[in-house]
Amino acid sequence: MGLELRLAWRNVWRNPRRTGLTIAATVFAVFLVVFFVAMGAGLHEKMIEDSVRVHSGHLTVTGAGYLEHKTLEYGVSFDPPLLAALEGDPAVAGIAPRLTGFGLLSKTAKAQGVMVMGVDPEREGSVSTLPERVIEGRFLANGTARGIVLGSRLAANLGATLGDELLLYSVAYSLEMAYELFTVVGIMRLPEPTLDRRFAVIRLADAQEFFVYGDLVTEVALLTSSAEAAAPLAERLRGELPERPESPISVHTWNEVLPELEQLILLDDAQMYITLAILVIVVAFGILNTILMAVLERTRELGVLLALGFRPAAIFRLIYLESLMLAGVGLCIGLALAIPAVFWFEAHPILLESESMTAMVEMFGMEPVMTWKFKITNPIGSAATIFGVATLAALYPAWKASRARPVDALRAV
Amino acid sequence: VSVAEAGRWTAILCVVLVGAGTAPAADLLPPDADLTAREVVSRVEDNMRGVKSSTCEATMTVVSPRLPAPREVRFACWEDRDGDRSFIRILAPAKDEGVGFLKIPPNLWNYIPRVERTVRIPPSMMMQSWMGSDFTNDDLVRESSALDDYEHGFLGVDPAFAGLDGPPRRAYVLEYLPHEDAPVVWGRIVVWVDAERFVPLQQEFFDEDGVLLRRMRLGDVREVQGRSVPHLWSMVPLDKEGHETRLRYQSLRFDEPVDASVFTKRNLSRRE
Repeated sequence: MGLELRLAWRNVWRNPRRTGLTIAATVFAVFLVVFFVAMGAGLHEKMIEDSVRVHSGHLTVTGAGYLEHKTLEYGVSFDPPLLAALEGDPAVAGIAPRLTGFGLLSKTAKAQGVMVMGVDPEREGSVSTLPERVIEGRFLANGTARGIVLGSRLAANLGATLGDELLLYSVAYSLEMAYELFTVVGIMRLPEPTLDRRFAVIRLADAQEFFVYGDLVTEVALLTSSAEAAAPLAERLRGELPERPESPISVHTWNEVLPELEQLILLDDAQMYITLAILVIVVAFGILNTILMAVLERTRELGVLLALGFRPAAIFRLIYLESLMLAGVGLCIGLALAIPAVFWFEAHPILLESESMTAMVEMFGMEPVMTWKFKITNPIGSAATIFGVATLAALYPAWKASRARPVDALRAV
Repeated sequence: VSVAEAGRWTAILCVVLVGAGTAPAADLLPPDADLTAREVVSRVEDNMRGVKSSTCEATMTVVSPRLPAPREVRFACWEDRDGDRSFIRILAPAKDEGVGFLKIPPNLWNYIPRVERTVRIPPSMMMQSWMGSDFTNDDLVRESSALDDYEHGFLGVDPAFAGLDGPPRRAYVLEYLPHEDAPVVWGRIVVWVDAERFVPLQQEFFDEDGVLLRRMRLGDVREVQGRSVPHLWSMVPLDKEGHETRLRYQSLRFDEPVDASVFTKRNLSRRE
């Protein structure tokens, strides 16, 4: 075996240019795979984080049935036992009770259908980025009643500016007419244009009064450390939360609340993996080609080895080792380049400044930033895949070399 | 059989079953030979022909699982049939007293005295609830003509249709299919018409997929100035369990002098 190893290593470097090119192709493949998988992971994490920090939180506590119907029938009482249960779990990083309703917002002649969310001004920032998104004026404050913060496009459509009194108009939970004047205290910019056009926030207390909703909320949004931590926390909370037989509570993870986001991510992943699979296959053929060429070139030499008493199995091992060495060297260099690159880009996200790019990214409701995310599974998985494919590609030339008959091989040119 | 396929077949089966369940054709007699569907509709229209204006006082009662007790809204109405304008003033509950609605097609205006604002209800809100009831804003401003905007089909005769109240009556069952360009939000309407007095007794509203969304029944038919007019309307949305809105006219008069200034935005925002 030691002899085969030495022979294989020398053979690899007999034609440095060919070997170099093959290694370069492998390095290229490894780099691209690791880099793009990290980019996908970063993109998806960003999409999830951006989305949960505007809409749902990583987890949402609602009345059972709210998610399907989105009406006021499924209120949850945000009372001390529920709050205590939520605060009692160390994985819960933020708690934001909300009341989401629909109505008409009008400024004199102009009116616009809106989704209006009542939030606790002090708690909201622990889950969502809404308070930071205010670009004009300020966010809501508990001291001031009947203030409203508008999406920037909504404000523009209504022609509303700070200090304007707008009429919010809807039907209350009690089926009474609901109408109240709200003063514009802030304008926020939301990345998703469709939301920015029809979203407004008011204080939870004002919303509860407006919709005649008592102390109920439609949802309690929770923030946890990461998207992955959501599912185990949800599982735990389902056991921990107070039982309410008359109005059952349910706990949803972000992907249940935003199924279209998860679908989008799965689709995007599928596309990326198909592209990368094609890349890996091309590289595999490169390795196959190099080794096969090497084998054909060395038919005579292999014949000599066989004539000297090398067994076909030893020839197979020799050629196979050469391929593994090629792939291995390429892998090591590729990883050595890709991992620092990923770390560097993870620390230095790229801002997409061009307008067309911004517009495109905004369609997906995220900020125009490209980010990378290093996960240890990425280089391990990528390396294993590429190495595995290279190993498969090497089978044929190795098998072919071991099949050579000494007499024919010696006669070959 | 894939899941998607199974789902599709289930959906088709459901549509067939629902269709069979709601199709009035089951125990109907064949249509009478002497009247076409269009003639029946025309007779219904005749009942109200020549009416130039109307005034009313009515009570609307909303029943919902949300409410511990039914909610009542009392209002007065004025209608100018020639000009297709109408005006409603809320009389009770006290909280909403003085709220006004003015319809000048295609607009619907709503005045709210407590905040002294007038809102124009935009088209996107037309299918929303009117005053928390099971009637929609669209029901208030609907402009479609029963005669001109639909294709009428005769589904049959129900020899004993049990309506909202009173004894069972012989009813013509008609199908209204809106024309392509008609300002109608429904896919199909099935109407039961009293074969004797030519007043509608029931209307079933279907969406474009043929799903029955709501059922309106009419009763308490009284003679008003020589015309047969239902004084009780009941609307039941079938997608919301336990909901019903009843509208009862305490008084309804035709062609009493109504000042044209009633139907103005000035009148709408007049403080009482």
